[in-house]
Amino acid sequence: MAFINYSSREIQLKIVYYGAALCGKTTNLVTLHKQITHAQKGELVSLATDADRTLFFDFLSLNTKTLPGFTTRFQLYTVPGQAIYNTTRQLVLKGVDGIVFVVDSHWDKMADNVESFSNLQENLIENHLSLVQIPYVLQYNKRDIPNAAPINYLEFTFNNRANRALAFESVAATGSGVLETLNAAARLLLAKYSKTPNANVTGMSQPNLSVAVPPSDMNPPVPTTGNAVA
Amino acid sequence: MTGIGMLTAEDQMAIEQRLADFLAKSEAQWSALVDKGGNLFAQSGDTGNLDLSILSALAAGSFAATHELAKRLGESEFSALYHEGHGQHILMSALHHECLLVTIFGERTNIGLVRFYAQQVTVSLNELLQQAREKEALATPLQIEGDFLNDQATIT
Repeated sequence: MAFINYSSREIQLKIVYYGAALCGKTTNLVTLHKQITHAQKGELVSLATDADRTLFFDFLSLNTKTLPGFTTRFQLYTVPGQAIYNTTRQLVLKGVDGIVFVVDSHWDKMADNVESFSNLQENLIENHLSLVQIPYVLQYNKRDIPNAAPINYLEFTFNNRANRALAFESVAATGSGVLETLNAAARLLLAKYSKTPNANVTGMSQPNLSVAVPPSDMNPPVPTTGNAVA
Repeated sequence: MTGIGMLTAEDQMAIEQRLADFLAKSEAQWSALVDKGGNLFAQSGDTGNLDLSILSALAAGSFAATHELAKRLGESEFSALYHEGHGQHILMSALHHECLLVTIFGERTNIGLVRFYAQQVTVSLNELLQQAREKEALATPLQIEGDFLNDQATIT
């Protein structure tokens, strides 16, 4: 839940990176921590196991001047992707303002992606929230792998709805698409404070998509390998 | 949602005053009001170079992690949580409206004293939070000129 402090003229907003295990959520934060040079950033904190698997969450705080007259503090969290940590995911979602759902583009990970997206919606309900209320963007990550699922397949699977979310292609490990994703999520959150909201921003509606796929093209291709879920 | 979404300058000052009084009586080092989402609302005292955003996020996370444990014991939640170190300790006390009082203290005082005064300040902080909540319900939502699409609004 956004918090506005009129004394220090500060707005605090919480963005959670959600997705299946090993889809690149932590890598997004690590890359952002390296890439961001102008915003005032805090230390990147990772509560992880010895094998670098997220145990509780990763956390990165960014102080920005994105709203005139206010300091906007974006608090970025990741959730642990592994199935057994569902209670932890529910806890990290507490007070969430915006979500980045990271999709692993590998064909073999489609079932995990779909399960995670469904798990996100269930856990939002546990927190008395839903994707209708909480702005979210999709990030199709690992676009550099040889057997990446086609974008129109991912769009059909994760974004085939009346109000389509903004979606971005990325390679989090190299930094491609990472800042774009964060900025899109940030603008969706900030738009609610605008007296004159821009339709392209508030719109979860039609695209300004970096991976714009015309609705007519949204026929699911048949996966050629792996156990993808249609 | 029962959390606090805004604090006026007046609310903030009143809360900081309560925290400062609490520190003076308990001889603790630092105290803060944070919410269970990890937002820092108000603080008093000194933590040196510690990053307060991280401290708040970790404190909220730590408190949240015990929630399930409490449920298994038939409790709705633990009202307080204490972490004991060699020289520095943390006490976290649950407040109303999804908030927590986080207190760091050292060897100048002891857990009994800190807990005693924490229980007292909890009552007055809950009253202030209730007032803040009532004000928030009547407040006009924050609206700012601009669509925040220019370069300055971009995180870089």
